[in-house]
Amino acid sequence: MSKKVAKGEYIETDTGNKVSRRSQIIGTTNIILGGKTVIQAEVIIRGDLLRTLSSSTSDKSSGNPVAVAIGRYCFFSRGCELRPPGKLYRGSFSHYPLKIADHVFVGPSSIIEAALIGSHVSIGSNCVIGKFAIIKDYVRILDGTVVPPNMVIPSFSVVGGRPGRVVGEVAEGEVDGFDLREVYRRVGNS
Amino acid sequence: MSFTPYTYFQCPCTESNLPTRRLGESTPTGEEESDQDDRTFDPRAPRANYSLYPLEHLLYCEDCHQIRCPRCVLDEIVTWYCPNCLFEVPSSTVKSEGNRCTRSCFQCPICVAPLSVSSTEAPPEGLGAEHATQSGPYVLNCAYCTWSSKEIGIQFDKPNGIFAQLSKIQNGGKPIVTPRERRKDREERTRDTSGSTMNEDGVVEDLPGTMNLDPHEQLDAESQFSNLKAFYQSQLADSSPASALGFTGEYGYGSPGALSRIMGLYTGGSFSEKKAKSKKGAMREAQDALEGLQITSPASEEKAVNRLLSEGWESTASAAQRKEQSHNAHFVSDLRPIAHLLRTKRSKRCRTCRHILSKPESKVQTTRFRIRLVALNYIPSISIKPLQPATLGRETFLTPMKPTQFLLTFKNPLFDSVKVNIATPASTPGRFASKVTILCPQFEVGANTDAWEEALREGGGKGTEREKKRTKAEASEGQNQAEAGKIWERGRNWVSVVVEVLPADLKIAGPAFMRSEELKKDDGPLREDEDVVEIPVFVRVEWEADAAHDDTTGLTAASRDKEVKEKRELAYWCVLGVGKIAQD
Repeated sequence: MSKKVAKGEYIETDTGNKVSRRSQIIGTTNIILGGKTVIQAEVIIRGDLLRTLSSSTSDKSSGNPVAVAIGRYCFFSRGCELRPPGKLYRGSFSHYPLKIADHVFVGPSSIIEAALIGSHVSIGSNCVIGKFAIIKDYVRILDGTVVPPNMVIPSFSVVGGRPGRVVGEVAEGEVDGFDLREVYRRVGNS
Repeated sequence: MSFTPYTYFQCPCTESNLPTRRLGESTPTGEEESDQDDRTFDPRAPRANYSLYPLEHLLYCEDCHQIRCPRCVLDEIVTWYCPNCLFEVPSSTVKSEGNRCTRSCFQCPICVAPLSVSSTEAPPEGLGAEHATQSGPYVLNCAYCTWSSKEIGIQFDKPNGIFAQLSKIQNGGKPIVTPRERRKDREERTRDTSGSTMNEDGVVEDLPGTMNLDPHEQLDAESQFSNLKAFYQSQLADSSPASALGFTGEYGYGSPGALSRIMGLYTGGSFSEKKAKSKKGAMREAQDALEGLQITSPASEEKAVNRLLSEGWESTASAAQRKEQSHNAHFVSDLRPIAHLLRTKRSKRCRTCRHILSKPESKVQTTRFRIRLVALNYIPSISIKPLQPATLGRETFLTPMKPTQFLLTFKNPLFDSVKVNIATPASTPGRFASKVTILCPQFEVGANTDAWEEALREGGGKGTEREKKRTKAEASEGQNQAEAGKIWERGRNWVSVVVEVLPADLKIAGPAFMRSEELKKDDGPLREDEDVVEIPVFVRVEWEADAAHDDTTGLTAASRDKEVKEKRELAYWCVLGVGKIAQD
């Protein structure tokens, strides 16, 4: 039986990333994907929002500047958007890199402008994560939450509401539920 | 609003707390115990709400071999830390400084978002702008609602240590007299009262080293309390100097009362009696704000009312905003930034045997656990889904009076295979009783071994493959039609069985024979969540475990004893929420 190479929904890279053909990834040279990451349709990743380097520090930069760095086994649902945050610092407006660790699930239509997202984080649908927010490990963000800018969310929190507040704690038994390896395996047909 | 099926487990801790104490009852306790066994679990009872938990929230005690819920564990604090700066606070500091962050972590009083410190200076421009450091007065800014501490008139000199600077400034810029300064001032005054200066006019001059405190000062609750307390302590000491009670205030053994009492013991009883009869000095009340007196003037009320009339309702603080403040804040301009409450890392302990069930690492940055005994690793987990997969996009309700089949999957986490017995009452408790039938009440679930381990044990991969195919063939025979007494499908460590549900009709008014007993008694309108079908299931799990003992210095006889498998069983109630009944 010959296998027809059909044009499927996802492109699978050699590191195991499954990227949908209908996603909009801008500035791909500045985006690092850790491997086994799923990017669904209509996901926007802004790799073009880079840190504006001044002339004095240009000698240190080697290779491409990183705008978005994503870890392994992440899952970006349909319609979500990853944007590196930017602010006016000492007279000039520049963007800062967005770093996402492993096993991060982002729900549909959520907007992420955080500075740092830790591992094993589950973000619900229609959320807005404000600029320079720092989310630590094992956090669950409920659907529709608006996390205010500069907020630090400690590990094992459940965050909800507008503005986002810590409404509960993640139980010890839920820790294994954040693992996204099974979810990755279920995504089919490249 | 879609319904996801859920499984909740009941913690046995609630059963022992049932109020079965009937004083003077002649029934023997044996009868009561059997009564408990027969009584089925009613998930709609008000008490049930407090004993049902999803499996992820439960812990398991290995010594007691019992499930422990969040209500029956004892919490002990491992570390205190600030949720904003993630800085660990030693417990001694928590006891002295209180349970809030004392660095620069504040929440906006309007919207509870985090505040950031920024300079009020204009940003530098031109060449070398990125190297210029700003040193202007600093303010706290909210990025969510654009509130700034300028709105209450507070600015800071340094960008660090905002907590200390904030405690010294009032809303509006005027300095607050801190309790420490008040105490020092009081001590200065009392030390010099013996040699108080009094000039010819009879006016007491201000002593050097004390502050110029206004006798009609408007005090806040804390300073008023400390002033009053100090005043009454001094009054008590003054009015009864010769009393045997030498324990007023913090005078200790040096108080005049104690001294006279001890001297009286040495010189004889008669002298002490006479001294006790001496008249107690009269105590007076506080005279001015220095001593803690606050006179409410009618003018202050008028001031507030006028402000209200001129500024309107928008300027008043809401109930949620006022709750967070430590003082009575009526207006938005009275609100002060709220320091973050400290958060804790807690370890959980079993209530009966004091065994530690969960212990996180004490460092804030590490998310590992030293000990983590969760119920997920000990009891089989249950998941529900309908046997016929529902059509996508449509809200799936259960049609009343139509038999629907659900698939229950039991996953075994233990390294030994378990025998599971499930039972449920024929009809669900509550006003609308749905009929439930379990097609296979007894089955065995395999052990949670790795695929490799099983392959090695069987002696070759072919053996296991053949076995898998065989069981699949068996399962496919029953695939189209669920048969009573047969499992639906089996995997390495999981088994799925079929449960048939006949949902009740939600009609309240109907022919008498169709309505349940409870409905006849109570025929009010449909209450919230009454249309959800909740099935109480009693699960009994039996397995044979190696009797694990600590000391393994084994003589052959002793080691043989240890190999004897110990039969263990665990029984508990759970509630399966399968779906909502459609209302037409």
